[in-house]
Amino acid sequence: MPKCNKSEAQAIDYVYGELDVSQVVDFERHLSTCNNCTRKVNTYKRVLRLVDEAEAELTAHIIAPRNLEAKLYRRLAEVPPVKPTLSSRLSDFATGLLLTLREQKVVSFCLFIFAVISVAFFVGNPFRPAPTFDMSQIDSADARIEQYRHQDIQRSMEDVLRNRHLRNSDGWDTVSQLNRVKDQAQGTNWANIAKKHLKNVHSEL
Amino acid sequence: MDKLIDDEMLVTQFKSGSQKAFDELMKRYERKIFGYLLRSVRNYEDAEELTLEVFFKAYRALGSWEPKAKFSTWLYTIASNLSIDYHRSKARKPVYMLEDEDVIEARVVATDISSNPEKQLEEKERGRIIREAVDELSSKQKAVFMLARYEGLQIKEVAETLGMAEGTVKIHLHRAMKKLQTLLRPLLENNEI
Repeated sequence: MPKCNKSEAQAIDYVYGELDVSQVVDFERHLSTCNNCTRKVNTYKRVLRLVDEAEAELTAHIIAPRNLEAKLYRRLAEVPPVKPTLSSRLSDFATGLLLTLREQKVVSFCLFIFAVISVAFFVGNPFRPAPTFDMSQIDSADARIEQYRHQDIQRSMEDVLRNRHLRNSDGWDTVSQLNRVKDQAQGTNWANIAKKHLKNVHSEL
Repeated sequence: MDKLIDDEMLVTQFKSGSQKAFDELMKRYERKIFGYLLRSVRNYEDAEELTLEVFFKAYRALGSWEPKAKFSTWLYTIASNLSIDYHRSKARKPVYMLEDEDVIEARVVATDISSNPEKQLEEKERGRIIREAVDELSSKQKAVFMLARYEGLQIKEVAETLGMAEGTVKIHLHRAMKKLQTLLRPLLENNEI
């Protein structure tokens, strides 16, 4: 049997698929004559199979965390926004321009300009709104944060009203909870709604 | 949203003010990042919190982010750093959530009522031993192993993600494999697979 000149690292690289084609051919030729390396390769394959099974058991049923989007925007509402500097704006503009050119390809961009000029010459007014990515749905982070805030208030309000019958008959628990919702809803229509419900509860007491 | 729009394009749209672009990026990667962090910290609650932290940091920094590497690589970098910080701050072995393991066991039982409960318990115990062996790896070895094995990253991408040279990544990977082989030797010798 020829003397083994392969390192343990090569066996691991082989198992991981990190060798290039010529190295794989060379290593597989070596494997056909070297029991030691064959044993090593088989062991590493078994190690990976064991770990794969154990990890799959833990993560096979994972789903994305619930309400991640809502949690993120709530979290963002708690911190002041990062204001972009002039240099970062300029570099963003340059990057955006480069990416757009890369996406559209320069040749098709030139063809488009040529087509526009031709149509303008023969037909007139070619400048219809170009299809752009989801522009109608662009909104600001502040709007999103406000939207989640409203949803939160609505949920709190619904909880208070839905569970009213579970509380003490004197209704004071409901009053204190409605007051809390009213404070939470400062500056929104929900504050007026909370006030109206408070009035009703007071009149029932 | 169009799946053909690549991540870098979405980043540009986010920089122009589109929140929807960030939502789409989050939708694309939340499950992957959560899975990576769950493997790393072994705790559903903490993995969820860290996933939120990853996207929070990404949202705040994306405005000034330069696309030198892929967006996904950058997200994994944030996740890896948070995971390393997590282990440093905990300075202890990962805590296995019994509830999580019970849920897994319940699901397995539910899908195969005729199966042998003893055998299932054995398998569950074996899975725990193996995951503990993975957790014995150093934080860098584990990060390299997980990124290369389960996140489908090439050695070059792992190197970019962790800020290491490709050679260093390979060394960590080789050490991780050797250590796992040593730690799992009893299972391998018992011919349990």
